[in-house]
Amino acid sequence: MNLQFNFKRALSIAKKEKFHIMRDPFTLTMATILPVLLVLIFGLAIEFNVKDIGLTVHDSDRTFSSRKLVEVFSSSQYFNINPSRGSIVDAINDLDSERSKASLIIEPEFEHNLLAHGNTKAQFLLDGADNSTAGVILGYLGGIQKAANFKLTGTLVKEPIELKTRYLFNPELSSPWFIVPGLAVVVIAILSILLTALTVAREWENGSMELLLSTPVQPLEIIIGKLIPYTVIGLAAVLLVVLVAILGFGIPFAGNIMLFGIGSLIFLIACLAQGMLISVLIRTQQLSMQIAMVTGLLPSLLLSGFIFPLESMPKVFQNFTSILPSKWFMIISRGIFLKGADFIDLKLPFLGLFLLCSILIITATKKFKKDLEP
Amino acid sequence: MKLLNFVTVLGFLKKEFVQVLRDPRMRIILMVIPMMQMSVFGLAISTEVKNIKLGTIYNPNDSVFRRIEERSFSSKWFIPAIGRGTLNDLNSDPLEQIRSGRADAVLISPPGGITKAIERGEGTVQLLIDASNVIRAQSIERYMQSIINEVIRDEFHIVAPTPINFDVRILYNPALESAIFMVPGTMAMILCIVTILLTSMSIAREKEMGTFEMIISAPVKTWEVLLGKTIPFILIGLINAASIYMLAIIVFKVPMKGLYWQLAMATLAFIITTVSIGTLISTFAKNQQQAMMGGFIFLFLSNLLAGIMFPLDNMPLIMKTAAYMNPMTYFVKLLRNIMLKGGSPELVWTYVGILVAMAMFTATVSYKRFHHTLD
Repeated sequence: MNLQFNFKRALSIAKKEKFHIMRDPFTLTMATILPVLLVLIFGLAIEFNVKDIGLTVHDSDRTFSSRKLVEVFSSSQYFNINPSRGSIVDAINDLDSERSKASLIIEPEFEHNLLAHGNTKAQFLLDGADNSTAGVILGYLGGIQKAANFKLTGTLVKEPIELKTRYLFNPELSSPWFIVPGLAVVVIAILSILLTALTVAREWENGSMELLLSTPVQPLEIIIGKLIPYTVIGLAAVLLVVLVAILGFGIPFAGNIMLFGIGSLIFLIACLAQGMLISVLIRTQQLSMQIAMVTGLLPSLLLSGFIFPLESMPKVFQNFTSILPSKWFMIISRGIFLKGADFIDLKLPFLGLFLLCSILIITATKKFKKDLEP
Repeated sequence: MKLLNFVTVLGFLKKEFVQVLRDPRMRIILMVIPMMQMSVFGLAISTEVKNIKLGTIYNPNDSVFRRIEERSFSSKWFIPAIGRGTLNDLNSDPLEQIRSGRADAVLISPPGGITKAIERGEGTVQLLIDASNVIRAQSIERYMQSIINEVIRDEFHIVAPTPINFDVRILYNPALESAIFMVPGTMAMILCIVTILLTSMSIAREKEMGTFEMIISAPVKTWEVLLGKTIPFILIGLINAASIYMLAIIVFKVPMKGLYWQLAMATLAFIITTVSIGTLISTFAKNQQQAMMGGFIFLFLSNLLAGIMFPLDNMPLIMKTAAYMNPMTYFVKLLRNIMLKGGSPELVWTYVGILVAMAMFTATVSYKRFHHTLD
């Protein structure tokens, strides 16, 4: 392998690529503005605190107590009561047709049992299809039960020992604080992979690659030269996203901004190099694009730890996710943003990111070299 | 004059199939990768919170606290924090443990131990949680609360009186498994990506290569070109759908309570919609790069605004409106409703109707724009 490298030649490639990018203002605008836009939109849209849960109430008891119980639900600000449309069957049909997420069925003996035996029951049917929402609703139900006990019987249910929770780094459990630093990683990862995935393939399809090959320029110089302008664009996008996170969402930037900058740089280059590798290997734009989307979009969204916890995955998949640059930068981004982690805390993710970045660039160069020889 | 010449359309179909499937790598991408993705995501993704690294700070003589610790680690939720040996002593800094990522949560005993606190009738167990992941933080608190309640009940036989009780029944997914909920969502995502990308790139490619001019100069009608260009992708999408569904039902044991024809109808309506959207994108794009950008914007927005990863009900009104203009939203709801709940006819017909309307609308707009490009 010839790793000859002349910086001047790499720069001329960069210059050529710059012209190419400037000629297509649509793509340039998209590359810089889109990350901020998407982070802004979804930062505002995503909310994990479940509210306004549709609850169908079927009250066959119609007593003071049963009405009081319904009132506890309606005044809890979590539930929206949908009155039953007649029979108990409707209370279940409402779940089938997704009019409601849950149904409360109060049997005729509700108040009688409470007064006669000091102990009564109401049925709560819950749509468990969406397991995470169902989990949250079950969590609310504990509080509702406590409130109902107090309101209906005056009994204050007190646990013998109280658990006092302190939420660190995000005391109000704000969803944007959690979403934005992660979403930034996802958006930038996908865009970077897509940006470079077509560059080399396009030159092969258009025939300009043959021209390039007839010059003394070396593979590594082409790769580095092509990476430079996209890295600049990517850094601009990162900067905009960080500004929106801090100024727009009021997320505290607890850590060192320099460390974050270095991390972003390595991450960007790794993702761009991933796209470049695809482009070098595939040589046709349509297929490159398919592969870029397959390796970029869904893995960054689903396997990077953005929403779905890596810790819950089977060991094999946990190890598998280590080949994704976005997994490592996810840890770095959230760590620096919210926890103020320093380099010592993050040495493993930094090492992982650096290794991936080097491997991707070297492989792209190597594969490129093979292509040069007829 | 005939409205539609089937021979012409058939010729186009053939050309398009040959063009897409000529590259053996493309065949693999189209047929094998969706199933691979489906398997990886089906097996890997879980919204259940597990393997929480728990640190504990307590006096070693506190037997009740030790019971809480033991029960935590024997549950499937908690594992010991990294380097816990040093954590056990009362002087270690819990904040530092969490900040450095060695622990996700630290449980701290009340001064003097739990037994004394209960005798005194007051005292709190403190739980510090890393809340940088909001979902995880809430689950950790819920789990810990239930473990502490259980241990206290067993050790002290204190049962808090609760006159009002709920008899909770969880329908459709009683074990609250995330795979059952997530698999239909990932199926929709995979189908959407394949069809949108193929269609949008294919026409943009002809424009870039200049072969589009040849099509224009040939004696064919817009409808014929359009059908010839889209039917292959609809077929590929349907084949993909069938293989993914088989995988989901046979391997991932996602229940299939509804009727297969309902599923087929919903899938066909959805795929026609996405293929039309792909065509629409390609009428705007000058080259493949722009088609890709357009495709990406649509895919990203539609994937995130479909109620797959984030519940739609909690979103602000504008985003909710956008989500209900997204065909994926209806398709995901249809898949879940048909597969998990057996398909409520009311919902299935309404949503399939909406999808068909969307398909007709986008197809008409693409036809108009396509016609315009041709002239």
